[in-house]
Amino acid sequence: MLRLSLARRRSLLPWLFVGPGLLWLALFFIIPLANQANVSLQTGNPDTGYAFTWAFSTYTDAISEYQEQFLRSLGYAATATVLCLIIAFPLAYFTAYRAGRFRNLMLLLIILPFFMSYVLRTVAWQLILSDNGWVLARLRDVGLVSDTGRLLATRTAVIAGITYNFLPFMALPLYVSLEKIDRRLIEAAKDLYASPITAFRKVTLPLALPGIFAGSLLTFIPACGDFVNAALLGTSRQFMIGNVIQSKFITILDYPTAAALSFILMSFILIGIFIYARLLGARNLTQAAL
Amino acid sequence: MKPEERPIQNILDELVHGDPVSRRHMLGRVGAAGVTLAGLPAFLSACGGVEGTSTTSSTAAQAAAAAVDHPKVPIGDWTFTNWPLYIDKKVLKSFNKEFGGKVKYVEEINDNFEFFGKVRQQLSSGRPIDRDIVVLTDYMAARWLRDGYVEAIDKKNVPNMSNLVDNLQTINYDPNRDFTLPWQSGAIGLGYDISKTGREITSVKDLFDPKFKGRVSMLAEPYDSANTVLLGDGVDASKATLDQILGAIDKIDEANQAGQFRRFTGNDYTTDLTKGNVWIALAYSGDLIQLQSDNPDLRFAYPEEGAMLFTDNMMIPKDAAHPYAAETMMNYVYDPEVQAKITEFVNYIPPVIGVQELLEKSDPELAKNELIFPPEEVRKKLFAYPQLSSGDERKMQEAMAKVTGA
Repeated sequence: MLRLSLARRRSLLPWLFVGPGLLWLALFFIIPLANQANVSLQTGNPDTGYAFTWAFSTYTDAISEYQEQFLRSLGYAATATVLCLIIAFPLAYFTAYRAGRFRNLMLLLIILPFFMSYVLRTVAWQLILSDNGWVLARLRDVGLVSDTGRLLATRTAVIAGITYNFLPFMALPLYVSLEKIDRRLIEAAKDLYASPITAFRKVTLPLALPGIFAGSLLTFIPACGDFVNAALLGTSRQFMIGNVIQSKFITILDYPTAAALSFILMSFILIGIFIYARLLGARNLTQAAL
Repeated sequence: MKPEERPIQNILDELVHGDPVSRRHMLGRVGAAGVTLAGLPAFLSACGGVEGTSTTSSTAAQAAAAAVDHPKVPIGDWTFTNWPLYIDKKVLKSFNKEFGGKVKYVEEINDNFEFFGKVRQQLSSGRPIDRDIVVLTDYMAARWLRDGYVEAIDKKNVPNMSNLVDNLQTINYDPNRDFTLPWQSGAIGLGYDISKTGREITSVKDLFDPKFKGRVSMLAEPYDSANTVLLGDGVDASKATLDQILGAIDKIDEANQAGQFRRFTGNDYTTDLTKGNVWIALAYSGDLIQLQSDNPDLRFAYPEEGAMLFTDNMMIPKDAAHPYAAETMMNYVYDPEVQAKITEFVNYIPPVIGVQELLEKSDPELAKNELIFPPEEVRKKLFAYPQLSSGDERKMQEAMAKVTGA
């Protein structure tokens, strides 16, 4: 072994710790990403092969041709995220504060659906929402759905499917941030004559923001790229950008367009997250997280 | 690869640009089997003008096919790749028992193009794909032949090939069956639930009937759906041009915009049909026989205008490690007794003669089924897929992808 000065060794030590992580990132993130960036700038066709030509027009063509699916993806994902938040917040709140000895059971119930394959869970909803199913019959009885109306193969079904499938991603981070809150802060607020609502608004909610932020990201990002729900619960009129990318990659073998679409989606998501972080107040978030 | 490196591509391109003999024509001649047995020279002349180059390269392909020699070796461990639920697994067991070795049977093909995408890179860079038999539909089989991805079959090892039904003895992309051997055939027609539609469905036009708005499912594969629509409009789909096909896709698009179609499907239309979500589906004949046993209200009709006939073909991928095992299996399933077992299980149209006679004894009900053994007047109206060049095929796929929203 080389004898290194103490200072030198000190400066190398952090790299030793970061090393495996960096290697992992390089192997499984940067290299594939660079490879796909290269593919997205190629032209050609599946028979003669593709060659790198700096074809930036693929990007503009892809946006103009598939803007409908892009907007739909962002819209569906945003709607599902908001719905997840509305459903998951009371769930997480109850689990953190009121569940008592049932807390672990509640947590288990939240993650239980993950024990089953994602596709199977979605297929199950095909049966639940089917035209001759119990759910639709009851909705018809109540008059929420017309006699000729349907649930399956509609926008409602797709958004509901996404909401259902991503709910745990919202509920778990929310639970963690709520559970971490020092109860004495809430008691203090009440001691200072804050009503329960004010205490919630001024203490609990701000302290839960990191959980809301993390949950929203974990829901929104995969939901944007999802294609399973649209494929199984929707029609071609509900297809999202993930369906386009899948068919371009797998059926049509148009790799450049598929890669370009993926990068466009990624940049949309990054911009969206940036705006979202600004809205919630990034400083607030990092501070609260500490 | 450069074109001169793939002689098969050249002949097939010639065939594509020539005027392919239609399947209907061939089917019409089932009685006069001699005509369809005529082989390559007659076939090429039927295509109209054959240029010198193609004759030389076709002889090259013929030479390659003639030169093929897969000596008898122990079967060993080998791989057979097929579609799901496309064989009675007992057949595999008895094959292992009779010939030794062990077949690894993988049900990994759910979609021709998806499977092709999976193995394409290896094939195009000349690496073996570690599968000894693959089963692909006509248009994909044609593409593999065009690109030189298929090993010739050593017919000495497949004497039972003589049991191949007359109407499949020759096909536009492989006139002598030097590289492909049919696995099963089926028709694309109208699957419907009579308790919902309230009447028999007989015509392609019924798919577009506004009375069934939102209750119809269409196949996403344009080879199946667009060509069926063309048949409905009285066009001989086996000779369809790209423009005609794009026209049919437009027609599908228009109806879809109006909400006529509930979904575009692959094999998954069966769930929608059995659950009553869809009343009429563009469907594959074999599926409906299986579904009928659960729900007698489900029916299948060959459209009166005619139906597309698909054949899935066994092929040995280029540089496969166990061609002799593959050929032994091909020979085995072409034994009518074995084929009858497969037919009883999969309910598609068997490509082997003598199956109907065997089934008349063991399962007379099945032997009478018109979906498995189409009567003569139906056979006359079964059409083969049109031959498209790779570029046209891609244009068709892209146009259809826009309609199906992906």
